[in-house]
Amino acid sequence: MKKIDPAVKRETIYVTSCVVILSLIMQAVFLIIGKWDYTVLLGNLLSGGVAVLNFFLMGLTVQSAVELEEKEARNRMKTSMSLRMVLLVITAALGVGLPCFSIITSLVPLFFVRIAVAVRPLFNKYIEADGGK
Amino acid sequence: MLELAIGIILGGCALGAGCAMIAGIGPGIGEGNAVAKACEAIGRQPESKGAVTTTMLMGCAVAETTGLYALVIAILLIFLAPGRFVNILLNAIR
Repeated sequence: MKKIDPAVKRETIYVTSCVVILSLIMQAVFLIIGKWDYTVLLGNLLSGGVAVLNFFLMGLTVQSAVELEEKEARNRMKTSMSLRMVLLVITAALGVGLPCFSIITSLVPLFFVRIAVAVRPLFNKYIEADGGK
Repeated sequence: MLELAIGIILGGCALGAGCAMIAGIGPGIGEGNAVAKACEAIGRQPESKGAVTTTMLMGCAVAETTGLYALVIAILLIFLAPGRFVNILLNAIR
């Protein structure tokens, strides 16, 4: 098995932490407004898990693509993007179609990765001060 | 007449979902270009591989969000919108 690049590992851990924190906040909001039930939790688990998995798979593809020729790397990235999009379509369809998943919590956590990337500059100075660990 | 109206609603929703998914093409091309340029950069300066990979990962995640917006809109148009629109139509007739 190929070794995972430290940069990919670090970023995946960061994104996972952000997704967990944001998921907890979302669960708290549902509890506060009195609309929490098991479907909210299940939808969040499904969608949050797939969001992190999607980011990790993208990291693995990037890791292997940077060692290839330019054209080959471009093609590999496009193929990976298509396959990951299929994964996301299946997840979203399951979340919306099955009654055991809440629709809102099945779709919203897919955007948590984007929020994690957006707030990344806030944490950058601490990560750099820690030697990138 | 009612069947025709429902058919138009369903057709419109399906067409909208298909049009929304056109936005899924862009991130694929964008990510491909980003990785190709990163390969070029790493080839020129191999010592910057870690920094380039980190920056590119973040860039790819941002680029992919556009596709996700389209995906969510398409899923909502396929699964939720038809039922809502048909209900509105039926209520309007009554």
